[in-house]
Amino acid sequence: MVMLYGLLWRLLLLLVHVNRALVSWLRVRLQSWKSRLWERAMASLLLPLALAGFPEQQKKLNRTPGADDNPSHANGGPSPRLRYISDGMSLQKLPVHIGFLVTEEEPSYTDIANLVVWCMAVGISYISVYDNHDIFQKNHSRLLKEIERQQRHLMGGDGHPYNVEFLSNGSDKCHNGKKKSKVTIFKFTIPDPELVVKFGPVDSTLGFLPWHIRLTEFIFVPSHRDVSYKDLLGALKLYSSCQQRVGQ
Amino acid sequence: MSWIKEGELNIIERISANVLKAGPMPKHVAFIMDGNRRFAHINNMERQDGHTQGFNKLAETLRWCKHLNIPEVTVYAFSIENFKRTQEEVDGLMDLARQKFERLLEERENLEKHGVCIRVLGDLNLLPLDLQQAIAKAVLATKNHNKCFLNVCFAYTSRYEMTNAVRELAWGVEQGLIRSSDVSETLITECLYSNKSPNPDLLIRTSGEVRLSDFLLWQTSHSCLVFQSVLWPEYSFWNLCEAILQYQLNHKSIQKARELHREHQASLQLEADRLCTAEELQHHGNGKPTDAHTRQEALLHYITCREERVQNFLTALKHKRDLFFHDLCIEATTA
Repeated sequence: MVMLYGLLWRLLLLLVHVNRALVSWLRVRLQSWKSRLWERAMASLLLPLALAGFPEQQKKLNRTPGADDNPSHANGGPSPRLRYISDGMSLQKLPVHIGFLVTEEEPSYTDIANLVVWCMAVGISYISVYDNHDIFQKNHSRLLKEIERQQRHLMGGDGHPYNVEFLSNGSDKCHNGKKKSKVTIFKFTIPDPELVVKFGPVDSTLGFLPWHIRLTEFIFVPSHRDVSYKDLLGALKLYSSCQQRVGQ
Repeated sequence: MSWIKEGELNIIERISANVLKAGPMPKHVAFIMDGNRRFAHINNMERQDGHTQGFNKLAETLRWCKHLNIPEVTVYAFSIENFKRTQEEVDGLMDLARQKFERLLEERENLEKHGVCIRVLGDLNLLPLDLQQAIAKAVLATKNHNKCFLNVCFAYTSRYEMTNAVRELAWGVEQGLIRSSDVSETLITECLYSNKSPNPDLLIRTSGEVRLSDFLLWQTSHSCLVFQSVLWPEYSFWNLCEAILQYQLNHKSIQKARELHREHQASLQLEADRLCTAEELQHHGNGKPTDAHTRQEALLHYITCREERVQNFLTALKHKRDLFFHDLCIEATTA
């Protein structure tokens, strides 16, 4: 009997994985304007069936990988900088401090650099980048170079320098050996992050700023690889629709 | 309405529970029971009735957890921020709490039968005195039960809890019980209100909000977070199963992260101990360089002393906290 339940459990997990793969495949097909009409019709019929099987978490963003929606590639119209600024101003509220929490095993410097540059362009003052293995912490000079490169590529090079904080999973070792890890309170007066965008499959904060995330909104994006500006804007739009009562 | 809802699961629920139990199960689940007021509004009820329904749902959820062999549950019943609500609503919630804690004392035998230990975490001084006394009686009456644990966060915020832990550590250093170099992440964890419980494996928030609202921020750093859109009074057995399934899907990666964190903490502690030992040797030494053997012996000796200091401090802290509840009970009986 126990073995039977064990088998059923494994089957259940398999079904969930298949369902998730099917749902994300269907979403991509639905949104890709290149697909033929009948494919889209089939996909739209199958999608509700797939979704009924296992409700997705709310505030999960529908990814549009490869969608070419970067303002810098727009032909004619206002300059990319103005487009970013107007996108930022069109939102009801914009976070002053945004956090990117990468739970995927191998982070992509280019994609994170893109996110940082877009955030700066849209008008977000503080950007925190965190991963569980200290990869960004240990390679922050590489990330900084990538940010500079992407800034030139996306914006034409005239951006003001921003303070990119690297949060470590462990401690920064001081000479007197005092431990910092979770105990570190920011030495600068940076406001608490209002929004954290979590990338990857792990549904946990993995030790990200426990003190500071008291009122932070969490938005889940399946992956940071090939993340587009539209994805970031989607997350910011979701954030701007969140209402906080702060106990009241 | 009782704290413990009796009754078995139906056949389909039982089969589903058995399937889930074939996989890794959370040993401690935390709930942010959000959505009572919205539920009341949608169903044209008074807010107070929404909160009452919320309590009923809590009792039902505890029954499901018992059947799913989840021994510990922590719930966010009332935040310090909730004092900002209208006086009418706050009074209503205090009355509900009074009613329920008094009911708990009436059900003492039933709680003993099920081995339920109730703990209340928060800044209880903010509550009306009679409620504090009722809580103290309930906590002391169930103190030694050990089959399942219900932690009710009342007049609680995580930041207050963390600040309070630091205050206790400062008290410990002041009293000479511990040194400031003994302070570590582990020791802070031991000073929180939740120090008798393991960290939650799973945190569930209902009503669709995707924030932690100052709840168990320290303890849930490596927990599986599940946000569900259902309103708390409408929570179902299937919602709970869905959350547990989410936990099971994340189990391996979260375990890995927890292990990594634990190893890191251990290496930090060892490094700190080495530094303190080196300082002591330098201070008490006669200027001659020490050999590896002496250093190793000194290190082991230092670690033993530190652990003893910490144990004494934690015993003193426990005594202080137990005394708080005892004094309240004595006040209640003499009043």
